[in-house]
Amino acid sequence: MAFNYERYLRLQKMPTLWCWGCGDGVILKSFVRAIDKMGINQDDVCVVSGIGCSGRFSSYVDFNTVHTTHGRTIAYATGIKLAEPSKLVVCVAGDGDALAIGGNHTIHGCRRNIDLTMIIINNFIYGLTNSQTSPTTPRGMWTVSQKAGNIDPTFNTCNLAIAAGASFVARETMIEPKKLEKTMIKAMQHKGFSMLEVLSNCHINLGRKNKMLSAMENLEWIDSISMPKKKYDALPDEEKLNVLPLGILKEDKEADEYCSMYAEIQKVHQGERKKITQDDFEKKI
Amino acid sequence: MGTFRTENPGDQPVWVNTDNCKACDICVSVCPSGVLAMRYEISSTLGAMISVEHPEACIGCQECELSCPDFAIYVADRKEYKEAGFSFAKLTDESKARQEAIKANNYYSLEQGAK
Repeated sequence: MAFNYERYLRLQKMPTLWCWGCGDGVILKSFVRAIDKMGINQDDVCVVSGIGCSGRFSSYVDFNTVHTTHGRTIAYATGIKLAEPSKLVVCVAGDGDALAIGGNHTIHGCRRNIDLTMIIINNFIYGLTNSQTSPTTPRGMWTVSQKAGNIDPTFNTCNLAIAAGASFVARETMIEPKKLEKTMIKAMQHKGFSMLEVLSNCHINLGRKNKMLSAMENLEWIDSISMPKKKYDALPDEEKLNVLPLGILKEDKEADEYCSMYAEIQKVHQGERKKITQDDFEKKI
Repeated sequence: MGTFRTENPGDQPVWVNTDNCKACDICVSVCPSGVLAMRYEISSTLGAMISVEHPEACIGCQECELSCPDFAIYVADRKEYKEAGFSFAKLTDESKARQEAIKANNYYSLEQGAK
């Protein structure tokens, strides 16, 4: 007997509609195993996904799921979390979903530090709509919208989240599912906004014109542009430019969490306490 | 409705669900001991299908199960497998060499000749 996946999946939707070798399936599996390891009842979990290949994530898991509009995962999830603060709310978005169309929601979710877990599946391209340039497409790669080669500088998702104020920021790849599972558990257990970027492959739409025809060739390329954080820190500055560090990049357990502050506002309106003043916060600005 | 089997078909260390497999080669590439390989299959979209070639060499590391995006491959639970009176193999030089040969053969089974 192997791991009991049937318990957590909607079997009538299987097999998945993703292409062969797609990293989304590995991330789905890691997520299901992480939830099982944490011992949470699946009725206490809500998965919110947007549009794109990653949007199908919520269709396959047998939890409470919401398949929302493009880029608005954080907006929906904030409402769900404030209504039911005891539930675990997980947003799943792609790189285009979270950083281009929903970039605004993402940075403000980070700023509020609300207790959500956001999994950004970064495959470096708009995969579902056939290879348009996304905010994370590496420079010089062929895309449908920039056929002479991409000239746009790329977003560094984790640096963006750190700058915007997320209290847990990590990056993993789908090449190492065991590590991914451990980091996912830490991200979901963290109280506050936790952002987990997972580097994934799209050999169909990114690799086809960029000399990565099979899943394995694309994974080798991801392996070559990423390295563990310890190794990355030891590099000289000029070599850090084209490499992405893996692991937990920021963990701040002291930061104020939005749901608990929101509960104070409810107390004010019920007449249980005085109005909130600047003295109630340690970090005032 | 997709067919989904996580039950062991009969004291196997590793088994596959060929209804779910899309032949992406990932499981073959991550195996350290040359247990898995692809075989030609005319009914599959990519013309290939996963097969367990050397179950006796499986070390039970679960890399293939965790790396499979399509829930098509399963490895027996170490504790349950031991209780049933079996044990996983140890990694040998022979199995390492076989894995290198399978990789060099474009992830195809060595018994099917060069691809």
